[in-house]
Amino acid sequence: MRFFKVIRWIAWKDLLSEIRNRENISSMFFFALIVILIFSFSFSTDPEVIKEVMPGIIWVAFGFTGVIGLGKSFLAEVQNDCLEYFQMAPIPKGAIYLGKFAGNVLFMLAAEMILFPLFILFFNLNVLDKLPQILLILVAATVGLSALGTLFSALTVQIRAREVMFPILLLPLAAPVFIGAVESTRGVFNGDPFTFYSDWIQLLIVYDIIFMVVSFWVFEFILDY
Amino acid sequence: MLSQRIIGKLRRYEGWFAAASAVCIATGLYMGLVTSPPDYYQGEVVRIMYVHVPFAQGAMFAYTLLFAGSLWYLWKREPLVDNMCHAAAGVGVFFTTVALVTGSIWAKPTWNTWWTWDPRLVSFAVLLVVLIGYLMLRTFLDDREKEATYAAVLAIVGFVDLPIIHYSVEWWRTLHQPLSISMRGVSIAPGMLVPLTFMSIGLTLLLTYMIMVRTQMIYLQRLLEAKQGRLLSQVQL
Repeated sequence: MRFFKVIRWIAWKDLLSEIRNRENISSMFFFALIVILIFSFSFSTDPEVIKEVMPGIIWVAFGFTGVIGLGKSFLAEVQNDCLEYFQMAPIPKGAIYLGKFAGNVLFMLAAEMILFPLFILFFNLNVLDKLPQILLILVAATVGLSALGTLFSALTVQIRAREVMFPILLLPLAAPVFIGAVESTRGVFNGDPFTFYSDWIQLLIVYDIIFMVVSFWVFEFILDY
Repeated sequence: MLSQRIIGKLRRYEGWFAAASAVCIATGLYMGLVTSPPDYYQGEVVRIMYVHVPFAQGAMFAYTLLFAGSLWYLWKREPLVDNMCHAAAGVGVFFTTVALVTGSIWAKPTWNTWWTWDPRLVSFAVLLVVLIGYLMLRTFLDDREKEATYAAVLAIVGFVDLPIIHYSVEWWRTLHQPLSISMRGVSIAPGMLVPLTFMSIGLTLLLTYMIMVRTQMIYLQRLLEAKQGRLLSQVQL
């Protein structure tokens, strides 16, 4: 029970500081907005083209949003030497990981929830009746991205060239998340029946589980040094 | 000192590996380039296989070694094992690059393209990126123990991810378009299998030899650093 308490407290602390300064979500939001604008310049506004490239644009924007937000996840802990308290505190280290991870998932989902209506608005997407499927894809992909991102954030936070190393490590290893998310989103936009793209959602969920377990296990080693 | 004894053994036996690999590679190259038959479909072009396939095998072997070594390092905290991992990653980058380049050269006459988004190609490209990221991560850390731990964690996470990447890309391609050219189902004639086996053994020995030499280099480098007192000053900080 103590384990879950630690998770809850760490996630709560992150949420509280986020509610007070709104740094993370606002930077994620505006960054993604700029990505969308830039993309809209690079493709024609022909509805057929939009339909073809839209899933990719959405996930590139969300992926970069993740890089911005997740990369900073452990930065606040370093600035006030909180990382050392994490190391010293007599709490299970895996719980710290899960707490940070839960906070990150919430931030990313919050940013995506604000962004997604804007996507629909800007590009005239007609998907409102498929909201449950889209929510499922968003959550599954965000969990996968955050599971790996939280781990790599802890890994890169104490090294030089942190801003460069974080995406270099995260993006190639998150390739299955992008493939799964883009393909299932395309299925939704094409109006395919759920069974056509449910394999991709399964892939996302398998990825989520594997990386939560692996990261949970190796996190202890990262925090110890 | 156990690690000094192992380093001594490596120095003593590395020559044998070099000689054996030279013999195997020379035999394999001679058989592959001169005596083996040309392929029915591909003609003489197929001979690049004797270089390409063993290099790809070597790259995978290097990564497997890196993964096993990383697990061992996290378990036992033996610095020499970490030096071996570092060496394996560096040699792995070389083998992966050669495998990708020779594959690209082979793809041009047979598939009429330098690059195609085939699952195997994509997963090899990701493997290369991960290995380079691994080496980059190591250069950005000053504390040796931290460097070794972080690198081991990255190697393990990357190794777990590679099969998922491979299968997701395979899925992605097969759902979109069936592969027009597949390596599957191509059985190998005995006249080609013998030189290929020689090359595989030879290049595996070469890989082992390179890792042995590189491990010694990294070990001595670290020893020198320690003797120069750089580690000592870090401890005092």
